[in-house]
Amino acid sequence: MAGQSDPNVSIFSGEEVEFMAEDEMVEIVPNMRMEPLNMLCGDFGPFYPQMATQVPMWLAIALKKRGKCTIRPPEWMSVENLTQILEAERESQAAFQVLPFHYVEISSLLFDYASGDIPDLYMVRSLINDIRDARFLKVESSLESFEDARSSAVKVKNLSAMEVNVVRPFVGRALQSFYKHGSPDLVPNPEAMSARRPQATDNIQRLDSGR
Amino acid sequence: MMYGTKAIQLVKEIANGEKGQLTPFSSDVFSEVIAECSQHFADLRSLIRKMQEAGLDVETTKDEDHYGQLIHHLSLVRNKRCLMAYMYNRAEILRNLVWNVGSDIPEEIQEKLSHSEKEYFKKHSEALKSYMSRVVLELAVDMVPPKDPYIKVRVLDDMGEVELPSDNTANFARHSMHFLKRTDAEKYISLGKMEELTG
Amino acid sequence: MASASDLGSTDDYEALMSMTDVELLKSAWRQEKAAPEILQFESRLIKRVREQIQLMEETVEEFTESGFDPLTVSLYQMDLDRTQFLLRSYLRIRLQKIEKYMFHIFATAELLTRLSKEEKWFIERCCVDLQTHLEKSVLSQLPYTYQSIFQQSVINDETDMVAKPQLDTFVVCKTKYYLGHIQLEDNADGEPDGSSPYDSGSQKPLEEPFEMEPNVLYFVRYKAVKKFVEEGKIDLY
Repeated sequence: MAGQSDPNVSIFSGEEVEFMAEDEMVEIVPNMRMEPLNMLCGDFGPFYPQMATQVPMWLAIALKKRGKCTIRPPEWMSVENLTQILEAERESQAAFQVLPFHYVEISSLLFDYASGDIPDLYMVRSLINDIRDARFLKVESSLESFEDARSSAVKVKNLSAMEVNVVRPFVGRALQSFYKHGSPDLVPNPEAMSARRPQATDNIQRLDSGR
Repeated sequence: MMYGTKAIQLVKEIANGEKGQLTPFSSDVFSEVIAECSQHFADLRSLIRKMQEAGLDVETTKDEDHYGQLIHHLSLVRNKRCLMAYMYNRAEILRNLVWNVGSDIPEEIQEKLSHSEKEYFKKHSEALKSYMSRVVLELAVDMVPPKDPYIKVRVLDDMGEVELPSDNTANFARHSMHFLKRTDAEKYISLGKMEELTG
Repeated sequence: MASASDLGSTDDYEALMSMTDVELLKSAWRQEKAAPEILQFESRLIKRVREQIQLMEETVEEFTESGFDPLTVSLYQMDLDRTQFLLRSYLRIRLQKIEKYMFHIFATAELLTRLSKEEKWFIERCCVDLQTHLEKSVLSQLPYTYQSIFQQSVINDETDMVAKPQLDTFVVCKTKYYLGHIQLEDNADGEPDGSSPYDSGSQKPLEEPFEMEPNVLYFVRYKAVKKFVEEGKIDLY
């Protein structure tokens, strides 16, 4: 039982990643008047009709669901910007373009709850899907370059939250095994642990497995 | 028969089992492995006695009896590891069960447990409950991040008039739709009696 | 000599001051969730957050009773629910780590001091209960030299049967400030890391010390950045 690893403890569920994304700020335009909200997570408002204001995503969605505001999609979600990003993602084999850490969750929340507020919805949605796909492919192929590093640290510039979460178990294991192949004696894993048993029993181990 | 093959059955049972699912406690294999341990120990001791009677130094002599002893020792240790891994992993599943179903074990799981495991389950769920009362906080709710405090649900199983934790009552007729507090609905959703409607 | 990592301290302070307790809790939650081992219990933060939650609960109740605008009330309720989730999940992850590594944490003074008063009570109960169970069902039926719950037999290492967290796990992390001279391997002097005492020693650095640029994500073995995580200099994701 010693040396057992538990991949579950250190992994965020899809819901948890989304939960974190819901704290990202977004601009809304209320259609009603409301006193400022002095909340545990911060102070927002006051709210006046047609006066844009910043609130966390979850609050924006709650107001939207109750018909109290429109949401202004963030600037990076414009067709022009996304087209540029997609081109750049496809051009470069290694580099990832700068996008908000939570771009996947933010866009999918907006598609689900505020689709009417997004200009060029279909175009935006398909661009984001393409960007996502292009980036996932790249994550996989850039794993090969991880091997050169032969190290226990790898830089993953501009990777987003959901991407990190998806590749985490895989990259973690891959790095562990590159690391292991690079210098097997340095990897403290369960098998290596058993090799550190006292001498007397170690002798017999070999004898035992050879019979 | 080769040493240790019985014990490995126990480990395989854990390894091949569905994650988080308990199989019936293998009491027969378990006692056979325990008996094997006693046999190894008896054999080991008789080899030591044999060496002592022959006037050999048990610590330094490296004859066949010495290696015989080591084989018994290693087989015993291996059996022990398997027995422990078996119990330890099952105990872990039991602890996760406390989180998921609370202190009442469903009948079909109850049947799969050894006497000591039933005892352990009870003890551990008491410990967890007692921790919660010490921190004055129920921890078995809010298992997933909240969305809206109110959710739309559809009733899948006719339940009739039901009293909700928030002191309200509601009529949960089959296929009826409700706008409920999430905390009120959670239990029914996890039991499969309701489904959340999104969109 | 001021290292680059110290330069951020006033900024750190200001950034910290501008964060709400809920944001601090969220960050503690994320750290605890992503770290393989149990971290220091944030007792003062938790105390403050719980007070704020209680106040908010009272406010929401008042609002509800006085028939205050239901929209506003439901928004405050959501804020409350989000905070409650973070609090519960934070305590839960810690309990689950305690359950998983109880014997190891209980036997390691440095880890034990990281627990809250209630967690200390809990881990003691956990250890007694599991030990009783294992002794009753396995150990007491084994020959006496094989009855230890912590070691395989009397001739083995003292804790070779104790489950420990894998500090070699890769974590995803980011720093706000430049961090230089991060040693990726165990120090030659085998700095105690709360894991097994026998896996240090002969290990040598595999490569040059490594540096972390600010605001860039890295996959790193937890062990290498453990110290910075504990000092709050690195955020885990």
